[in-house]
Formats: sequence, C-alpha cells, structure tokens
Amino acid sequence: MAFTDQEILETIRMVELETLDIRTTTLGISLLDCADPDLESTCEKVYTKIVHHAKNLVPVADSIAADYGVPIVNKRIAVTPVSWIAGPSGADDLTPLALALDAAAKEVGVDFIGGYTTYVHKGFTRADDRLLESIPQALASTDHVCSSVSLGSTRAGINMSAVARFSDVVLETARLTAKEGGLGCAKLVCFCNVVEDNPFVAGAHVGIGEAETVLNVGVSGPGVVRSALERLGPDADLLAVASVIKRTAFKITRMGELVGREAAKRLGTSFGIVDISLAPTPAVGDSVADILELMGVERTGAPGTTALLALLTDAVKKGGAMASSSVGGLSGAFIPVSEDQGMIDAVEAGALSLAKLEAMTAVCSVGLDMVAVPGDTPAHVLTGIIADEMAIGMINSKTTAVRIIPVPGKGPGETVEWGGLLGTAIVQDPGTFGCDVLHRRGGRIPAPVQGFKN
Amino acid sequence: MSRRFLTAEDVRRAGSKEILVDAETVVTPQALDVARSTGVTIRTGSGPYTEPSPDRGPDAAESSLHLPALPEPAGELIGTGVIVTCVGRNRPGVLSEVTSEVAAANASIHDVSQRMVGEYFHLVLVVELTTPQEFAGLKERLECLGGQDDYVVRVMHERVFRFMHRI
Repeated sequence: MAFTDQEILETIRMVELETLDIRTTTLGISLLDCADPDLESTCEKVYTKIVHHAKNLVPVADSIAADYGVPIVNKRIAVTPVSWIAGPSGADDLTPLALALDAAAKEVGVDFIGGYTTYVHKGFTRADDRLLESIPQALASTDHVCSSVSLGSTRAGINMSAVARFSDVVLETARLTAKEGGLGCAKLVCFCNVVEDNPFVAGAHVGIGEAETVLNVGVSGPGVVRSALERLGPDADLLAVASVIKRTAFKITRMGELVGREAAKRLGTSFGIVDISLAPTPAVGDSVADILELMGVERTGAPGTTALLALLTDAVKKGGAMASSSVGGLSGAFIPVSEDQGMIDAVEAGALSLAKLEAMTAVCSVGLDMVAVPGDTPAHVLTGIIADEMAIGMINSKTTAVRIIPVPGKGPGETVEWGGLLGTAIVQDPGTFGCDVLHRRGGRIPAPVQGFKN
Repeated sequence: MSRRFLTAEDVRRAGSKEILVDAETVVTPQALDVARSTGVTIRTGSGPYTEPSPDRGPDAAESSLHLPALPEPAGELIGTGVIVTCVGRNRPGVLSEVTSEVAAANASIHDVSQRMVGEYFHLVLVVELTTPQEFAGLKERLECLGGQDDYVVRVMHERVFRFMHRI
C-alpha cells in the first residue's frame, strides 16, 4: 500500500516534533480471586497475581515501542478495587494491601498501580469504611499506589456523608505528605460516574464487569492538535476547527489501537479500550490551554473558554469514535492545572479562577484536576468544592472528578513545585465563605430524575 | 486440591511433607520460602512445581477474533513493511550509505522519493524486509547513520502509517 510523502512526513512530524506518544499501556488485572479470610494471605495472593500477570508488561511495551518506532511513555497496572477483596479478612488496617500493591509495582517496574479504590456512592460496607480510613497512611507509605473513591453517580445520587469523609482523607493525606508539598493528594481522586476501564492514573482500576486481565491504552497528543490548529490559522471558521480536531483525533486514536492490539496479542490477553484523551504535560507545547487559545480566547479562562472546550472535547470524541470501535475510558480533554504550562500561565496571569475551572469541567472529560488550594483550607470548603463537582457530573450524566491538593504551609498565589509530570501549581483561592452546615448534614443528595431510566 | 493460589499459610496448615497442586495453581513466593525452610515438597501430578503460564481468562484467546478489521488488506505481507525517512544537509554518498545498510539487512527497496530544499534533502524509502525479526536490527543500524550536523534517519513500521492514514 503506497503512502504519499505528505502522509509519511505528517506521522514523523507528530512523533518527532509534536510529542505524540502512547501515554500509557495499562494492564488491568482482576483480583477478585485473591480475597482470603487472612489479610496476610490476601496480600500474598495480590502480590503474586500481579507479578505473575504483569512481569512481561514492561518488556512487551518496550518491544512494541522499538518495533513500531512509537514512544510508549508509561506502563501501568490497574486492579480490582481493593475494598472488594478486603472484606473476608475483617482487618481494621488495610495498609498492608497498599504495601503489597507497591511491592508488586516495583517488582515489575511499572510507573503506577491504580486500584486502592472503593465505591461508596450509595453506602459503606465495613471494608469500604476501613479502606477509606487507611488511604492517607497507604499513600504516605507507598511510592506507586494510586487511590480513587466513587462518591456519586447519576443512578445513585451523591453520598454526602462520604464526600465529607473524603475531604478529611484529603486533608490528612496532605498532612502526612507535607514534606513533599502534599504530593500524596496527587495520587488520590474522587469520582462521580466513575469509569471502570480508565487506564489513566490516579483513577485507574478494573471494574466489576471487566475481564480477568485486559490491556487498555491511553493516547495523548495535545501537541499534535495544537500544531494542526496553528497550521489552520485564525481565519478558519469553527466548523473547520472542529473538522481538523476530528481528523487529528482519528489519527492519534488509530496509533493507540495499533499499540493496544499488539500489546494485548503479545501478552496473550484481551484488548480493552483506547482512551483518547488530550492529556497535557508540563512540556512546552503539550498543552490543552494552548489549544484553547489558538481556537480563539486570549487566555484560558477568558469568556468563551467553556464553549471552545466543549467543541474540543466533543470533536476529540467524534474523531476517536470513528477511528476505533473500542474507545473508552475518559476520552476527551483533560485540564490538569499543574500539569499544563498554559494553564499555569493562565492562573498566574489571573485569567483562570477556580470558579471558571469548575464551569469548564462541565464540558471537559474529567473534572477539577491537580488544583492546589491553601493547606489550611477547612474540610467543609473541600466538601463544598467536591460536592459541586459531583453535582455537575450527576446532573449531566457525565464523569466528573476532583483531584485537589491542599498544600501545607502555602497560601493563595504561592507556588509549589512537584516536579516531573505533576508540574508546578499556583495555589488558588477558594474564597472566604464556607459551607459548614452542608458539611455536617451528611446523608445523600438523591438521584436526579433522569437516573430512573429503567 | 483444585485452587488458584497456594499461600504460606496453606503450606503451614497442610501438615504433610508433600503438597500436590494443580498445574494451573500459582504458588506464592512466600509459600515457596516456607516449603523450602520446612522441607515440604510442592509438586504437580506431572512432576516438580513450576510457575504456570498466566491464565488470562476465558475470553482472552477469543477476544482478538472479534476485533473489527482495520486497514490491513488480506494478501499483502503484514509485518515486513518499513518506512525510512532521512532529513539533513546534502552531500555526496548519503543515498548510498542508507541503501547499503538496507541491502546489508537483506531488505529490498520498493519505493524511493527524494526532494531538495536549498542544500537540504529529505528522502523517503519504502523498504520490504524478508524476515520481520530483522526490523529492530535494521532500525538500529539505520538510525546510527548520519549525525547531528549531517542527517537524521527515522525508521518506522509501515503498520503505523496504515492505521493512521487509511480508514
């Protein structure tokens, strides 16, 4: 099959100059058969099963990167929510399970392992309760473990008692990891309408309907979309903009499908999904904010940002859906503030407030992500921020998430450096008014009427 | 006894000097340690225990059969097409250096295109490998050619272009 020079050079340019890469190959492993009445035995089985299944993940990913000339940046593991296998042990402290996950991740050489997770969007089992309690210690005593909590859904409503407890968990995690600027909170996220095949951390885990093992792929590519829009120029109309984004997303997704199929084949496992998400990194040009600014706002956060982000997210999904029948995960555009140089600049310039970010999350693919707030933010304010975000997801039948970092010892406007992929954040001002009564009420926000679809 | 895992606790509780496990049972490293230190032998029906290959689940083998067809036409050799691109400052002998390496890998060139822009050139070769296993070696040798102020070679698998540019 012949290719034109233009096609060939386009692909080379995407990889070489526009930082197109496979952001993650994530092997999902069900741990449901690891439950044991003895916690130590559960940990043993968890460690053994993960190593047994994932020991070839890194070599396979590296061999595909070499064979196809496509960079694969991260190799990760997602597992069954740990609270589902912790029940039979009746143990009070579930931190040993986090240590087992961490040890397995180190043994097989992956970047992160997601699945220190619990679903409490309607209520708590005893194991859910214990797991939530142990999250701060688990995150403070491990390097690779990521934790997520489901707090609400369109079907179930929002468990506000759980939201309030989650706020305390966030504050305690920040306190225990204060030396690293509250870094533990970067590995902790809560969801409304949680996605069970998400390959991206911190929310990666393997839901109840998934296979024994499954290979999911997350593709990125803000740099590619940005360059395509740069070439299109400022005079094209929005239909042309949408069309360029769709075509670019198609190509990016296909690259993910190729790598996902090949990785699944070489590992002998099922191929799950391609998550086609524009996931920015702190690298210059690899920015969703830059895309929005090329699309038509002076600075990200200016009026018009939400409309353009809606167009962007939808066009990415459309291009991805045409390219692959296995699009899943979070697919769309991420807006992690600290990980996107354009977002950081927008916050610094005073263009992007917490309130505008919240509005943007109504149309982006996830939610409030990598947002820094002052370390002394009261729990009730966090509860309010999280509840607002969960409500956006619940009412709009979309996934929303909150990954918020109360940075110990820092106030509004101050800067915190986490380094690496997590980037730099400017602490944002959550305002002076709180919601103590909401925080203390507890109970649930009932499911909205569109939840009753049966 | 049929079981998914054999743990250290199982070995301690077994109370015998020999434990028979299924060929599919995974014995944890801790169980192996306990067995070693207490002189217990773990074996399968057919001999000493060895770690089984991972059981990826009942639908793993079948699942690839259900993936929709992507642009990989039947009849064409799959896994052997390679796209080589070179960009850099032109000088005598560039094409010869690149094609010599291709020939050394016992690969044939199906298409060549070269353009000049001022004193710079860009060259695209479509190469067919006789054995797909040679891809990594060819890629390494070709990408070592040239240099920072000379020219740069990139080698990618043809499937990447098929997937990306064909519906």
